[in-house]
Amino acid sequence: MARSIWNGTVTFGMVNVPVKLYTATESKTVRFQEVHLKDGARIEHRRICPKDEREIPMKEIAKGFEIDEDKYVVLDDDEIKAAAGDRGKLIHLEEFVDAAEIDPIFFEKTYYVGSRDAEDVYRLLLEALRRTGRAGIGRFTFHDREYLVALRALDDVLALHTLRFHDEVVDARDLELPTGGRKPAKRELQMAGRLVEMLHEEFDPERYEDTYRNSVLDLIKRKAAGKEIDLTAQEEPEHGDDLAAALEASLGGRS
Amino acid sequence: MPRALWSGSLSFGLVNVPVQLVSGARDLDYHFHQLHSKDKVRVEHRRFCSEEDAEVLWEEVGHGYERNGKQVVLSDEELASVEPRKTRTIEIEAFVDLEQVDPIYFDHPYYLIASGDSEGTARAYRLLVELMGKEERVALGRFVMRTKEYLAAVRVRDGALELTTMRFHDEVRGTSEIPTGGKKPTRKTLDNAVAIIEELSTDWDPERYEDCYRERLRRVIERKRKGATIETPEPERQPKPVPDLMAALEQTLARVRKGDDMLAAREQAEDGDELEQLSREELYERAQREKIPGRSKMDREELAAALRDGDES
Repeated sequence: MARSIWNGTVTFGMVNVPVKLYTATESKTVRFQEVHLKDGARIEHRRICPKDEREIPMKEIAKGFEIDEDKYVVLDDDEIKAAAGDRGKLIHLEEFVDAAEIDPIFFEKTYYVGSRDAEDVYRLLLEALRRTGRAGIGRFTFHDREYLVALRALDDVLALHTLRFHDEVVDARDLELPTGGRKPAKRELQMAGRLVEMLHEEFDPERYEDTYRNSVLDLIKRKAAGKEIDLTAQEEPEHGDDLAAALEASLGGRS
Repeated sequence: MPRALWSGSLSFGLVNVPVQLVSGARDLDYHFHQLHSKDKVRVEHRRFCSEEDAEVLWEEVGHGYERNGKQVVLSDEELASVEPRKTRTIEIEAFVDLEQVDPIYFDHPYYLIASGDSEGTARAYRLLVELMGKEERVALGRFVMRTKEYLAAVRVRDGALELTTMRFHDEVRGTSEIPTGGKKPTRKTLDNAVAIIEELSTDWDPERYEDCYRERLRRVIERKRKGATIETPEPERQPKPVPDLMAALEQTLARVRKGDDMLAAREQAEDGDELEQLSREELYERAQREKIPGRSKMDREELAAALRDGDES
């Protein structure tokens, strides 16, 4: 059984939905431990006070916010907690938006939302969000930090996405985008359009395996078996500057 | 302009567009440093060998992995040897429709900007923007950044190519073990819930939402700097499940149609007796549902009293 990481209540109007949260994603990147190459012993990270040149136990550690060079405002954990606000266990859905309208750049982390009891209200909210295609917007406090969240129907469950705030998203208008040069020619657009159509398909996430993860696991296996590891460097491709010729060649002379 | 995190080329058929990768998100959080509480000096993290009890330089650190109870150690060079070929290229493998890619797959956002001032590069970049922007298409490809290979989705956002790293399918968990409570809603309750959602609906406008946490933390730091005491607020109580779902829906619908502030209404209802907030008409409706005898002759107070008695029995 999946283990929940948070429990609380989602509300809309006077309706309360008791819920539990579950992580929806997990990184499968191969994680290594730091070891000393010489003897294979584990590396320990020690906190050292550079003034005393000695290791500092956790209970002598304070949290400092730097306001000037080497000048800190020191806060204890309770003081930092004060910023979390008073909504620790509640997610009030104050308004609803068209879920498809939220630009994907705002989505951060996803959790699955489960029902905390056997009442019917969970499925009521799920079906209502599914039927309207809307997402409820609210705030969610987790580990003493408040997040903006969108709650929506995903397959047969409710999903909660934490969202980035507008000022955390880089505006495309702040980028230096190419403006000079002439516009792509009609023929180039047509050829590229056909190339896109040739490569167009249904999205099927299972078609994409993490091949790098597999090579790393394979490398570990070879090394464990005492095999010699080939350290040959990889090469970079050349890029051509003739757009039309490259497009034509990509289409295999079918233009 | 954010700084480049990676540079290489976006490859599409035999077309290569030299690009740089910049972050699409910025970290505005307040970060704290670990200090030695006695002298307020910033603590340094140093690596020590657990066997020798001596400090270890970064060059002497390897990557350990436990396999079948045995430790395997890899050097940086050995790990680099399995980085895929064409390591400076984002190779587009397929185009899919944006609406088919669930946001659960999205990880970190970046932008791709054209590198160099070559006429050909600018034109190829604009070609991709024009092509993919029109039909809300997403290009899927792979690339290697630092030591990891990523699956990435490239799409158009405000005239720029945006790249989002994606989670692999086996990094997204299934939903079969998620408890979903009781029965499917009846048509009547569903209609009411849908009506509430429609009443409370608005256009998505990200600028309406500010990071209140960041602002509160800023104020806590500011007050502490001036020597004030910081108090932690009492957390809100968890509400009980509503005893009568239909009544809660109807009451909510009536209030949102009047344009009431629902959060304020909740607080009132939780503070005082919920029945005190209702009009005679609303109380009468409830009395009807609970089939309270003699209800048509009762006034507001009598109806509330009768409903309260009904709750207790």
